[in-house]
Amino acid sequence: MTDTLVVRPEPKAGRGTWRISWRGVRLITELELKQRVRSTKWKWALAAFVALVGVVTLLLSGAMNMLFGVGDGGGSDDYDVLFGVVVFFVLGLGLLVSPTLSATSINGDSKEGTLAPLQATALSSVDIVIGKLVGAWVASLAFLAVSMPFIIFAFVLSDAPAFAVLTTVLVLAIELLVVCAIGLGWSAVTARTPASAVLTYVTVACLTVISLILFGLTYPLVTQPTTFRVYDAVTYDDVTGNATECYFREETWEQAHTERTWWLLAMNPFVIVADAAPSNDDLVEPDYGYSGYSNQTMLGSIKYSVREARLGPRTVENWCYTGEAQELLPEEVKRLEQLQSLSPIWPYGLAFHALLAGGALWLAVRRVDVPHGKLATGTRVA
Amino acid sequence: MTENVVVTAALGAQGVRRAFGVVQAVVNANLTVPPGTVTALIGPNGCGKTTLMLMLAGLLKPDAGTITVAGKDPLTDGPAARSHVGWMPDALGTWDSLTCVETLTTFGRAYGIPPAEARDRAFSLLERVHLAELAAQPARVLSRGQKQRLSLARALVHGPRVLILDEPASGLDPRSRVELRELVRELAAEGTAVLVSSHVLSELDEMVDDAVFMSKGVTLGDSADALVAAARQRWRAVARPGTDLHAALSALARDWSPAVESDVSQALVQVTDEDDAADLLSALVAGGARVSAFGPVGSALEQVYLTMEEERR
Repeated sequence: MTDTLVVRPEPKAGRGTWRISWRGVRLITELELKQRVRSTKWKWALAAFVALVGVVTLLLSGAMNMLFGVGDGGGSDDYDVLFGVVVFFVLGLGLLVSPTLSATSINGDSKEGTLAPLQATALSSVDIVIGKLVGAWVASLAFLAVSMPFIIFAFVLSDAPAFAVLTTVLVLAIELLVVCAIGLGWSAVTARTPASAVLTYVTVACLTVISLILFGLTYPLVTQPTTFRVYDAVTYDDVTGNATECYFREETWEQAHTERTWWLLAMNPFVIVADAAPSNDDLVEPDYGYSGYSNQTMLGSIKYSVREARLGPRTVENWCYTGEAQELLPEEVKRLEQLQSLSPIWPYGLAFHALLAGGALWLAVRRVDVPHGKLATGTRVA
Repeated sequence: MTENVVVTAALGAQGVRRAFGVVQAVVNANLTVPPGTVTALIGPNGCGKTTLMLMLAGLLKPDAGTITVAGKDPLTDGPAARSHVGWMPDALGTWDSLTCVETLTTFGRAYGIPPAEARDRAFSLLERVHLAELAAQPARVLSRGQKQRLSLARALVHGPRVLILDEPASGLDPRSRVELRELVRELAAEGTAVLVSSHVLSELDEMVDDAVFMSKGVTLGDSADALVAAARQRWRAVARPGTDLHAALSALARDWSPAVESDVSQALVQVTDEDDAADLLSALVAGGARVSAFGPVGSALEQVYLTMEEERR
């Protein structure tokens, strides 16, 4: 057999670690997806995911139907909870599934002996890492895609603002990308696949649950005596028990200064999703004060609780219930304005996540780069 | 084809050293593989062969020393150097869900070959390693030997100028071994520089132009070459019982040693070249010795290897 001479331009000079080629990324992405899609487990996983989300959505909407009834006009508020719960459920499942798609990607391949031959080609390490990231992300987006019918179903029932579904899904997709990147980073720095899987789950748990627990546990640390004004009744109506005359007095209580710890909440993917989703935003005055934001949607009330935490303790409490439509005290109006003018917190959360993801990818590229300098303990090249 | 000096060594290593933690895997490695030749890398397990090959393939950074691959330095010019090397690892790695054609096409594309051309090359390479009928099969159904051949085809997919084969013969059936040998010689004839490691030394004997012996991370240069040359000059003579070959050889003033203790009808004898061997044979026959077999002693590489091993102990 005679071989035709293959004449190709040589890759450009230089180490080329950070050189990225669309061709290379696409090749690795295709390779990852082909490997994934052809395994039968993948189809079953997707089916199980659909079944789970579907069952929860339907059961929940059924339960709401029983509890609140449909068609009485006021039901849509309750279906807002359905939208919120379904979105959170999909996010939660997505955060569980995504690590499995990326957290063994590099050390697993290395173990199978399929990484080194790729590193030995003209592909750059960025090509390999980004290709793997996109592959894992597209796979996890498939899980999001199959749960879309249920998200849309819940959205249609609710009266969430028109763009809520778009923003929510977009933020969900970004969060899945972040988790895929974190998994990839761990799979690059650990030699054994169980270790990287566990570390990825621990990281996800830190962002979702442990940050929340920390927020709670730091309460005593940020709690200190704080003086605030109470508008309280001095005389009551004998019949109704409503206040007839109120006056201000100063009190000093132990109050939690959550303006120092709110960022713990901001890094939570669930909070980011809730904060980014447009809610029926306009906290009307009567909704504030006593009743908080009871008319808010589920995602909306999370959004405003976190923003409230960011403002810190209130400086005034209105305990003067006169039985009539409640007028807000000037200080309450001011706080409400502050609350509404507060910038959204999701950019902080997403920026932090982007930093995490970027760091993980940087580590992964460094580890995949050849020629290898120092090898991590327990790893070998091939 | 070699108008400047740099290209005369398609693959070169000078004073290469590499440690893993406290373990010095390669202490001092020197080798040169000119284009169109096959060089064997021989040494006991754990002597640093694979580590050296990884450095030559651009996967591992040497702690010291220089490496050139087709005139490029893998350290400063990684992608360019790697695109000239075909590396066949000793560890089998296959993408279980990909078919043989897909595996090769993927690798062709990883070297920047356009998809259609990569596919064509994949098919022709599968023919060449006799896997054409398994082209559409997923790699997981392949036997060990077949995987090994696929791995070889993978190393050839971009038509590299330098080929590094780490234990290519392991797991191959006898027929495939012969085919491997022929393929390697063909590639060398096409101008490829080949470095091959193997434990099947008798096979290397027929495949290689040159051999580099390695022991405890050090490549043995001239001393081993001299041993190989001496081994190539050692011939075995066997006569029918009743012939005293030892006496006959002494009478001819030959440098000989007994082949089997106290069996005078067998001997090992030094010859300078094949003409000298022919002269010796006719002299023996003329002297009345009933010689039944006369030829080079087994594998020269094997002899040297075993001598080295003995020195080691």
